[in-house]
Amino acid sequence: MVKNVNKRLLSYLILVFAAVLLLTPLVTYSQEEPEYTFYYISHGGPADPWWGPVIRATQDAAKKLGVKVIFLGPEKYSIEKLVNFVESAIDANPDGIIVTITNYKALDEPLRRAIEKGIPVIAVNVPDPRPPNERIPYLGYVGNDEYMAGYKLAERSQKEFEPNKPKRVVVAIHKPGHVGLELRAKGVKDFYEPLGVPVDKLDITPDPTKATEILRSYLKAHPDTELIITLGPLGAHPALKVLEEMNLFGKVKLATHDVDEVILEAIKEGKMICAISQQPYMQGYIPVVWMYLHVKYGFIPPEITRTGPAVIDISNIHLIEKQIATTGGA
Amino acid sequence: MSFKHFFSFFPFLKIIRKYPESGIFLSWILVIIFFSFLSERFLTLENFASILTITAELGIVAIGVAFLMIAGEFDLSVGSVYAVAPMVLATLWEQGIDPFLGLILSLLISSSIGFINGYITLKTDIPSFLTTLGTMMFFRGVLLATTGGFPIYAKGTHLLFLLLNSRLFKDFRSSAIWLVIIAIIFTLILTKTRYGNWVFAVGGNKEAARAVGIPVKKVKLVNFVISGLLAGLAGIISFSRFKIVDPTLGEGLELEAIAAAVIGGCLLSGGHGSIVGTFVGTLLTASINTGLVLIGAPPYWYRAFIGLILVIATIINMLILKKVVLK
Repeated sequence: MVKNVNKRLLSYLILVFAAVLLLTPLVTYSQEEPEYTFYYISHGGPADPWWGPVIRATQDAAKKLGVKVIFLGPEKYSIEKLVNFVESAIDANPDGIIVTITNYKALDEPLRRAIEKGIPVIAVNVPDPRPPNERIPYLGYVGNDEYMAGYKLAERSQKEFEPNKPKRVVVAIHKPGHVGLELRAKGVKDFYEPLGVPVDKLDITPDPTKATEILRSYLKAHPDTELIITLGPLGAHPALKVLEEMNLFGKVKLATHDVDEVILEAIKEGKMICAISQQPYMQGYIPVVWMYLHVKYGFIPPEITRTGPAVIDISNIHLIEKQIATTGGA
Repeated sequence: MSFKHFFSFFPFLKIIRKYPESGIFLSWILVIIFFSFLSERFLTLENFASILTITAELGIVAIGVAFLMIAGEFDLSVGSVYAVAPMVLATLWEQGIDPFLGLILSLLISSSIGFINGYITLKTDIPSFLTTLGTMMFFRGVLLATTGGFPIYAKGTHLLFLLLNSRLFKDFRSSAIWLVIIAIIFTLILTKTRYGNWVFAVGGNKEAARAVGIPVKKVKLVNFVISGLLAGLAGIISFSRFKIVDPTLGEGLELEAIAAAVIGGCLLSGGHGSIVGTFVGTLLTASINTGLVLIGAPPYWYRAFIGLILVIATIINMLILKKVVLK
C-alpha cells in the first residue's frame, strides 16, 4: 500500500512536470518560417479550463494559415501581467496583436502606441466599453456579450411557460460582484421584470453545500418560484441537487449559463431547459483569421463578431457534443 | 457602573466563568429569536436540518483549526487540503480502487500535509501563518496543474458515501452526525485528558509548558496533523454528496473556519478556546446564512453581517475573558 502511495505521489509529480513541459512548446509553438507572427494576449491563462479551447484554437488557426501565434496569459487573473505582456509584445514588433481589453484604462496608452507604430490590434473576449470616438481604435471585436447571454437565457426559458409566465424567478449568483456574472443576471432581470415577474438575485457562494442549502431555504421561503437561473456550473450542480432532493423536477424549471458533462446530461434527461455557450474555440480561431485577412489582403473586419450566446437545448445538443469532442470544450 | 458590576447583576456569572462558551451560545439564541420573529419558517425542523448541513463540513474543518489555534498555531492550508483529499479519492476511485482504501490513502495524504506544515514551522521557527499560506498556495497550484483547471466528476455510488453524507430523515444528513461525534471526541480530549491540558499550556505559555516537561513541539505537530486530517475528511464528506471536485473547492474556507473559531471564543494568540464554542460559532454563521434568505432580506448583506458579528463577538469574548475568567 505504501508502494502504491509512492507511485501515486510520483505520478502526480510527473504530471506536474509534464504539464510544464507540454505548456512550454504550446506557448512558443512555431511553424517553419511563418509568414506572419501574431500575439494573442489574454487575462486568463492555461490554469483556467475555459481558455483551454481558446489556446488550442489559436494554434489550430496558425497551423492552417501558416502563421505563428504566440499565446500569452497569466496563470492567475492579473491586469498587471496583462499590461506587461502587451508591453513586451509591442517591443517584439509583431504583425498583429489580439488582446482582451480587460481594463481599458490600463491598456489605453500602450495599445494606442502600438496602433501608431503600425501594429494592427483586434479586441477579443472583453471589448472597450466606451463610445466609438473615445474607444481604443482597434480593428474590431470578437467575443460574447454577457448581458445578451442572460437575456437569451431568460427568453428561451420563457418559451417553456408560454402562454403564461413563471410566478417568480431566482437568479443564483455564485460570485457576487463578478462583472460578467452580474451582467448576465441583469440580462435575466431586464427580460422578466418588464413582464411583471419578480426576479430575485441570490448569493449562493461557490461552496456546493452552502449553495444547496441556501437555494433550499429560498425555495421554502418562496414556494411560488417556478424558474431558477444559474450563471455557471458552480450554480447549476447544486441547483440540480436541490430539485432532486426536494422532488421538484417539473415544478421548478432550471436553465444555466455554461456547459459541462453534468449539464448536458441534465438537458438530455429533461431536468434542465437549456444552457448558454460562448463557444470559446471561436474566440481563439476567428481573430487570428481576421488578422490574417487584414494583414495579407487588407480586409477590414466587422466591428463586432459575436461568438455567442448560443442557446443549447435538446434540439441542438448534438452540435455542442461535437464541439466538445473536437475542440475540448464549449 | 463598571463592567464587573454590570456582570454581577446576572445570575449566570458563575456559568460564564465555568463555561466560557455560554456567551456565544447566548448570541446564537438571540439570533434564533430574531429570525423566528421575522419568519415563521425559521424555527422549523427543516430549517434546522439545513443549518446543520451547512455546519457539518465547515464545522469539522473549524474544529481542527480551533484545536490547533488553542495550541498557538494557524493553519491556512485547510481550504486546499479540503480539495486535495477528495481529488485523490476521486482519482483513485476512477482507477477502480475501493473507496474505503481510497479514504485511508487520501486521509494519509491530508495528514501528511498537516505534518509538513508542522515540521517546517517547528524546525525553522517560521510563523505558521506563513508556512501554511505557502502550502495553501502550493497545493492549490498542484490541483490546478494536475486537473488543468477542470472539475472531476464521479459516477455511481458506494457504501462509504452513503455512510458519510446521505439523507437520514426529513432533510437531516449523516454529515451532521459525523460533526457531532467529532465535536464530542475533541471536547473530551480537550477538557478531560492530560493531552488537552498540554494543548492549553502549549498555546498559553510555551516556556512555562516546556519548564514543566510538556513536549511542546510534539503537541503542536500532532495538532497540525489533526488539522490536516479533519480538513481532508470534511472535503471527502462534501464529495460524498456531490461527487464533483472543482479545483477551486474550499477557496476561502480557511478564513471562514478561523472566523468560526474566533466567534466561538478561541484566542488568535492561543491558550484559550473551546470546541463547543467553535461548533456553536459555526451554527451561528449558518443560521444567519439561511435566516437572511428566509426573511427575504437581500442576501448580498450576508458577508457584511458575518463581518460585524465577528468583531462584536470578539469584543464580547475579550471582555468576558478579561473581567470574568481571568479575574
